[in-house]
Amino acid sequence: MTRLAGKVLCVDDEPGIVRSLQWLLQKQFEVFTATGGAEALELVKQHDFDVVISDQRMPAMTGVEVLREVRRLSPRTMRILLTGYTDMQAIVRSVNESEVFRFINKPWNISELPKVVAQAITIAKTQPVEAPAPEVSDDAPIVANGERILVIDDDPDMGRAVSDLVGASAIVSYTRNLADAVGILNAEPISVIISETRVGSIDATRLVRLMKSKHPEIVTVMLTAESDADTITTLINQGQIYRFVPKPIRTGYLKLVLQSALRKHSALASDPALTFRHTVEATSAGAMESLMSDVRQAAPHAETAAAAKSGGFMASLGAGFRRLFGAG
Amino acid sequence: MQFRLVRYFTLASLGMFALVALSLIYFERQQGNFFRQTGDEQRTFFGEVQQSFAKQQEESARRDLLTIHESGNVNLTRLFANALWEKDFAPFVAQVQAIDVDGCQAIADITDDQGKKAVPPEKKACFADIGKRITTLPGFKAIDAKVFDSMKKSTVFKIKVFDLRGITVYSSEHAQMGEDKSTNEGWRSAAFDGVPKSELTHRGKFSAFEGVVENRDLISSYLPVLDPGSSRIVGVFEVYSDVTPFLKQIQQTSAQIRATAAGNQQKLEAAGAENQAAVDATSHRQLATIAALLALLFGALLVIVTRADRIIQQQEADRAQVHQQLAQSEKMASLGQMVAGVAHQLNTPLAFSQNNILMVKDALQSMELPMKVAGRLSSILEDVEGDKVTIKVSQLKANLDKLQDGNVDVAMLQEMLKDVLGGIDQMSELVVNLRDFTRLDRAATTNADLNKSLHTVAYIAQTVIPKNIELIEEYGELPEVECNPSQLNQVFLNLINNAAQAIEGPGRIRVRSSAAGDKVRIEVQDNGRGIPDHVLPNIFDLYYTTKPAGEGTGLGLAIARNIVTEHGGDISVSTRVGVGTTFTVTLPVRQQPPLAKAA
Repeated sequence: MTRLAGKVLCVDDEPGIVRSLQWLLQKQFEVFTATGGAEALELVKQHDFDVVISDQRMPAMTGVEVLREVRRLSPRTMRILLTGYTDMQAIVRSVNESEVFRFINKPWNISELPKVVAQAITIAKTQPVEAPAPEVSDDAPIVANGERILVIDDDPDMGRAVSDLVGASAIVSYTRNLADAVGILNAEPISVIISETRVGSIDATRLVRLMKSKHPEIVTVMLTAESDADTITTLINQGQIYRFVPKPIRTGYLKLVLQSALRKHSALASDPALTFRHTVEATSAGAMESLMSDVRQAAPHAETAAAAKSGGFMASLGAGFRRLFGAG
Repeated sequence: MQFRLVRYFTLASLGMFALVALSLIYFERQQGNFFRQTGDEQRTFFGEVQQSFAKQQEESARRDLLTIHESGNVNLTRLFANALWEKDFAPFVAQVQAIDVDGCQAIADITDDQGKKAVPPEKKACFADIGKRITTLPGFKAIDAKVFDSMKKSTVFKIKVFDLRGITVYSSEHAQMGEDKSTNEGWRSAAFDGVPKSELTHRGKFSAFEGVVENRDLISSYLPVLDPGSSRIVGVFEVYSDVTPFLKQIQQTSAQIRATAAGNQQKLEAAGAENQAAVDATSHRQLATIAALLALLFGALLVIVTRADRIIQQQEADRAQVHQQLAQSEKMASLGQMVAGVAHQLNTPLAFSQNNILMVKDALQSMELPMKVAGRLSSILEDVEGDKVTIKVSQLKANLDKLQDGNVDVAMLQEMLKDVLGGIDQMSELVVNLRDFTRLDRAATTNADLNKSLHTVAYIAQTVIPKNIELIEEYGELPEVECNPSQLNQVFLNLINNAAQAIEGPGRIRVRSSAAGDKVRIEVQDNGRGIPDHVLPNIFDLYYTTKPAGEGTGLGLAIARNIVTEHGGDISVSTRVGVGTTFTVTLPVRQQPPLAKAA
């Protein structure tokens, strides 16, 4: 029996769950269990865990809170959130505060879970950790070095707000349709994508997920007015989105998010190895094709610069998609 | 009782209209009568005025006639006296004075049957004798001839001369000579007062100068004769003059006036009748118009009211439907929340049970080969006598890995299955509680152990509310309560959910029960944020909610209060901002008969 020298901590207030996880994982990994947040954090202080798996719904401390503390105490530890049914607010916080690696739904798949844990352990053991971010105050100016930011949103105010915030230090491209977004992504290296989950009638999360699978150094910030837990779970697991911002958005909060996204990008760019920490699940097959056909259908109705030269548009759009995401 | 708008309106307005119509008819009739009476009075007055006018006119004409003729007679008498008295009548009268009349005058008058004084025939005869004696006096014939001569062809029909004793000294009708007029009013007035006295009379037959005339109107005047050159009365003339044509004229004029007056009266009456008819017709028209207008008004109002009634009924139905839909959606929302909580609660035992069973299944599979080997070995051992056996292990060695895989910790597998059984217990507990909560398979109203109900609700609620909220159950001894437990469960779940929503972060909810007399008391107390003063008065109001639109229906507490009230109970709240809120439900142990039905 080959036992990977990986240390895993499982946290759930239900003893049945932690025992199950222990039995499932103990063949391959060294498994510790805790039935409460305080106990878990005590163990984190004593041991150097590669992975912490925590249930969200627990008395005293929620899973998001436990994982946030784990991130603070041990940045190299990969964090996985286990949930049955959970509320939107918890998911948003898991993205923004705990920067979780994966969401795992109960009941889990007993063949998949050990694989995800193994992948996380590999990343934790082999990949460097970025330096902890210094605390920044609200009124500090945004630090940027000519990075390119792409804003995809139906609301032009969003593009303007981002432009105003970064000033001349970064280049902001705004578009309200995905065809243009594909064009822009092809034309220039983009550092940060700020995108609404739905643009027009098209689900834009596929573009973000596809971009992230091919270009892990791009930092993605999702905006949304609606709140669908499934969308965000998918975005975490397949898109490794950096921040999730529910609308309506306060300017101060947007500024904080932008600041940290730009910093994240410079870290990822300076050390490509860091991007492994944000490895995504394989996007479902046909995601590119379905996105392409949606964009094509929407294109004639969109008042885009590209649409004007309608002749070569379809061809150039197809080529753009292929160039961006590869043939397969 | 239901308010029947159309029926009440119809009855009230028809009654009112009938009253209005009756009073209008009454006043119209009064007015008509007044007109009629006034018209009658006017006509009568006018007729009387005309009558009196005609009468006055005739009277004045007669008076004028009398006055004119009297003065004419006075002049005539003067002329006559001047012409005849001195030379002819004075000596003749002096002769007559010689005749003694006292004997005749001494004969007493008699009183007739009617009490009137009358002259007895012997007295008349006595004076007639005196008359005969006068006619035999010398000079009579000459005077008589002179009188006839001068009066011929005039309107004077007769002349009499009296001496101061009242004796008829001369009369153009000879039969009257000698008559005594001393008691006559006219003679006395002329003889004693010197005032002429006239009288208009109608005579069927009359002896005039020209002979006997018939049907004449005559004016007779007693006129004093004065001694020429002095104012001494020496005798009295009586002159009869004919005024028949004048009087006829007067009577004609008067008749004309009377006819005109009658015509006028007739015209006036015709006009009055016409006016009355016109007034009556107008009044009928007026009544008919008002009746028609009232009917129109009633019709219009009836249409409006009917329509309003229909709209109100429609709105009422809509409202009831909306309310029902909202109540349904409220129930669905809390049901949905409950289902989500239950699903999560179910998920945990499900997750580890599934995991464990799959692992046990894998382990059993890996145990297949070692078990076979062990089985084979045991059959070999059965056949072997003695205590040594030789086994070829080359094949077994080749499968050593699999045999080692099968070397699983059976105690661990037992642990796993024990956990699965525990998980199944959790799931069945949940199912039992769910069934107790919904009570779909029980009677609606029953005698229930509310502590058990509360525990079920607390169990269900715990699946939904955040885990950092502690739910403490403190139940006292309770009698069985006659109620609809399913409805009360809804109330208790609503109160516990509300309590949980009032708590931010960690908190505590206490559910308490106690009995007091024939009532039970259930309290749900939280240590949440409390209810602000401006919200507190409205919390039981229908559709009132502090949650954003789309999240709360504002029905939860309204429905809760409704259910409690239907049970004959009471729900109250006490709160302190920042400290917490306590909802208290008080329920009677036994239902009042009508309420038992409603609940």
